[in-house]
Amino acid sequence: MATVREKTMNVYGATLSRRQFVKAGGALVVGISLVGPEVLKRGAQTAVLKNTLDPTLISSWIEIHPDNTVLIRTGKNDFGQGTTFTAYKQIVAEELRMPFEAITTVVAGDTDRTPDGSGAFDFLGHGSPNIRKAAAYTYQALLDVASERLAVAKDKLTAKDGVLSGGSKSISYGELVKDQQLKLTIPVKGDLTSIFGLTIDGNPPMKPVSEYTVIGKSFRNSITSTKVAAKETWATDVRLPGMLHARVVHPKTLGSTLVSTGTLDKKKFPNAQVIVKGNLVGVVAPTEWEAIRAAEQVASGTKWTDWKGLPSSAKLHDYLRNQADWTSAGVTKSDASKGEVDAALAAAHKKLSATYQLSYMKHAPIGPTMALADVNADGTVHIYTHNQNPQALRGEIATMLGISSDHVIVHAYPGPGHYGRSNGGNAGAEDEAVILSKAIGKPVRVQWMRADDMQWSTQSAAAFSDARLAVDEKGKLVVYQMDHYMPAMQDDRPIGAVIAELPTMPAPELETKSVTSIVNNISDPWIYAEVPNVLERGHGTFQVGQKASPIAVGLRDHSMRTPVQFQQNFPRELAITEAASLAGVDALQFRIDNSSEERLIGVLKAVRDASAWGSRPSPQPDAVSVGSAAVRGRGVSAMYRSGTYWACVCQIAVTPSTGAIKVEKYTIAVDPGIIVNPAQLKRQVEGGAVMGISHALLEEATFDESGITVDDWNSYPILTMADIPEIKVVLINNPKVGKYGGGSEAANALAAPAIAAALHDATGKVVRRLPMKPAYVQAALKA
Amino acid sequence: MITLNVNGARREVQASDDAPLLYVLRNDLQLIGPQFGCGLAQCGACAVLVDGKEARSCVTTVSEVAGKDITTLEGLPARWAKQKGLPAEEARYTLHPVQQAWIEEQTPQCGFCQNGMMIKATELLESNPNPTVAQIKDAFTNSGPSPNLCRCGTYLAIIDAVRHAAELMAKGR
Repeated sequence: MATVREKTMNVYGATLSRRQFVKAGGALVVGISLVGPEVLKRGAQTAVLKNTLDPTLISSWIEIHPDNTVLIRTGKNDFGQGTTFTAYKQIVAEELRMPFEAITTVVAGDTDRTPDGSGAFDFLGHGSPNIRKAAAYTYQALLDVASERLAVAKDKLTAKDGVLSGGSKSISYGELVKDQQLKLTIPVKGDLTSIFGLTIDGNPPMKPVSEYTVIGKSFRNSITSTKVAAKETWATDVRLPGMLHARVVHPKTLGSTLVSTGTLDKKKFPNAQVIVKGNLVGVVAPTEWEAIRAAEQVASGTKWTDWKGLPSSAKLHDYLRNQADWTSAGVTKSDASKGEVDAALAAAHKKLSATYQLSYMKHAPIGPTMALADVNADGTVHIYTHNQNPQALRGEIATMLGISSDHVIVHAYPGPGHYGRSNGGNAGAEDEAVILSKAIGKPVRVQWMRADDMQWSTQSAAAFSDARLAVDEKGKLVVYQMDHYMPAMQDDRPIGAVIAELPTMPAPELETKSVTSIVNNISDPWIYAEVPNVLERGHGTFQVGQKASPIAVGLRDHSMRTPVQFQQNFPRELAITEAASLAGVDALQFRIDNSSEERLIGVLKAVRDASAWGSRPSPQPDAVSVGSAAVRGRGVSAMYRSGTYWACVCQIAVTPSTGAIKVEKYTIAVDPGIIVNPAQLKRQVEGGAVMGISHALLEEATFDESGITVDDWNSYPILTMADIPEIKVVLINNPKVGKYGGGSEAANALAAPAIAAALHDATGKVVRRLPMKPAYVQAALKA
Repeated sequence: MITLNVNGARREVQASDDAPLLYVLRNDLQLIGPQFGCGLAQCGACAVLVDGKEARSCVTTVSEVAGKDITTLEGLPARWAKQKGLPAEEARYTLHPVQQAWIEEQTPQCGFCQNGMMIKATELLESNPNPTVAQIKDAFTNSGPSPNLCRCGTYLAIIDAVRHAAELMAKGR
């Protein structure tokens, strides 16, 4: 028998209880215990009733092993940013006073092996991600335990490389946890399966920034090595015994119901089966090629009702302006709104009013969404997929099946990035795989084809904005009014459940959770504090066609990289450029003159210097909007998001006779406060820059009265390597800010307003609609 | 039964003649480097080398490539070892310089397209050991059935990695 002594102590609001196991009869408990099943085998007949780690136990977040290595767990599944494998390891190493290499294992995403949930966004959590606080609490607990063990006062202890020293004594963390079970209970708040998951509460002391040794260095992303060597298991690679491949025959339109299912030709496809649930038609087969061919054959004979309930993309903006319901959602107003806009406009020296329009865009992952589901006989559901919010998916699948989320386990794997599409829990195929697996009693792998992914996934919402601006005699901005109009930005209902007529959360309405509401909030923080009269309003409405669709589908929207802020920053920044032209002053200096924020002015000056921007008003002296010779211009844009200031300069060449725009030079400056990993941040920003140019020039999800009409990379082209400009990234490390701002998301938003500004600079004409495709630019320049 | 020569080994597979090579590689031969991106030869995620030329395995049938030399991402280290006359065992613990450069330049974001990018880079560097930036852009945009597409926007990192790979290959590493 072991004798057990238990003690508790308070660690900055957390409770440390400590059991010391005295070795007896050969029993020895080593290290901090691991909670939850590590390995799951198909066909386990015992119901998994507790498959979530207890988030109030520090051991669910961080394990220190006797050999002085560390394992960390996070619900945030990597989506290519690499942050969990770089910045998270650096942050934990820093708070624990250990070398980066000591953090040997990162467990991310799996719902049964991670504690906190939330989506693959805002990884740095406005400077304090959960994992930082978990590490800070752990460090304090280690100090307390060491203080007692070494009989040295806590404030006399110093830590270096995982060893605590005081007086003439020292002990490693590994030795400290050996023979002990440390149970540190920490305060946690939030809802695990909601989009934002759980947050660690309290204020444990953090390591002073001035003492950082690990943060600020460019460590490599460990998963890169396994991916390029074909040694990583991607979601697409997971196979289970007895698994069937499936393809789904989606309805003919976004409002069609099933009339009759096509008959499967059993001679050609002897091993295939058709499964119908509501309006969902699935075809399964043991081999993937048979599933594909059989699904094509079934699809050709399946009959659907017709539906024409969409305005078509040609009439979209007329519909949004004149027919959409903008009253139900009410009007929101930004906190930055101030002064007397109407009076100031009436008295204004020079003013302008304009409307800006954005199209629907696709997330367009390079691989279509897929999922493997295994619904066991005991009702336990396992899902193997690539998902930005596995805990939220767990809740959605439980809702669909009418079971407790304790019975749903989501296993997270790498996959093609999809830029926000599943941050609310689903990307498209997960629920369909579950429905088919449950129906047939075998594991089923649903792979969407390219057309499914273009036509049945959600999209980034279209939007328009009305602006009224005025400048005074001195060339300063005195009025800024912007009314932003956009349909609900996020529909988290799983599409298969909707089509199959199974329970889901409500479609976006007024009274749904914040991100799925029809209310349109101001998401682009105001950065020009010197402007005396500001009015920013948000107007929301229902998703286009969703209420009219007999299957409640229509054009479903979903947040996409820099959501809502993208739709609001393009009109704002282009309007600011237009106001500078109205005032006859330099557009970059105009931004500086209307700002009082040192960090904003810093990024603007940095981008000015790096792009060799010479001060002058726009348009440029030789601006011309006709002819077949290329004309050049430059434009600037700025933004604040998630603790980070951004500024961008684009230089373009446009050929007026064709409307073709080539971005020749792209310069971007970023001040995120503390830069955690410069090399990774640079790569993230370069990627965002390229995606942003693609959004600005090429991307529009067109639709007719029945559905989305883009279905492949020819109808939805994205930027190619030949199209990329010379790209310069200026990183500004600003430790005095004391926080880590987000870096991987926002860069995609800067290009569009800077390119539109450059087009104005080159030609003297303003094009206020995205994307700036050649035919549209050509027509706009002629007008 | 169809016999395929994949990564230097003869492999017998049970597949219909019209089955795309991609599904056979991934599902029957457990070669998971090539990824399914579009099924239409429009993106390059599924690329492999067939007799040294980049091919899109999503639209290439197994019967078309029977008897030809197929190299997947998994086979790049052995391909390099053979070209350089290195001991075959070395391929087990070293990477092709292209793969090594992809790590050293930290090229991938999500990485899903990078199989095709590394295949394209290998094809290019085998015929042009020291390409200019313009030649790299041309190869990745115009030389295949479609441009090699990256949605995360890593093209600049790919260019950096191709140039770095050229240096590594010149050193004979």
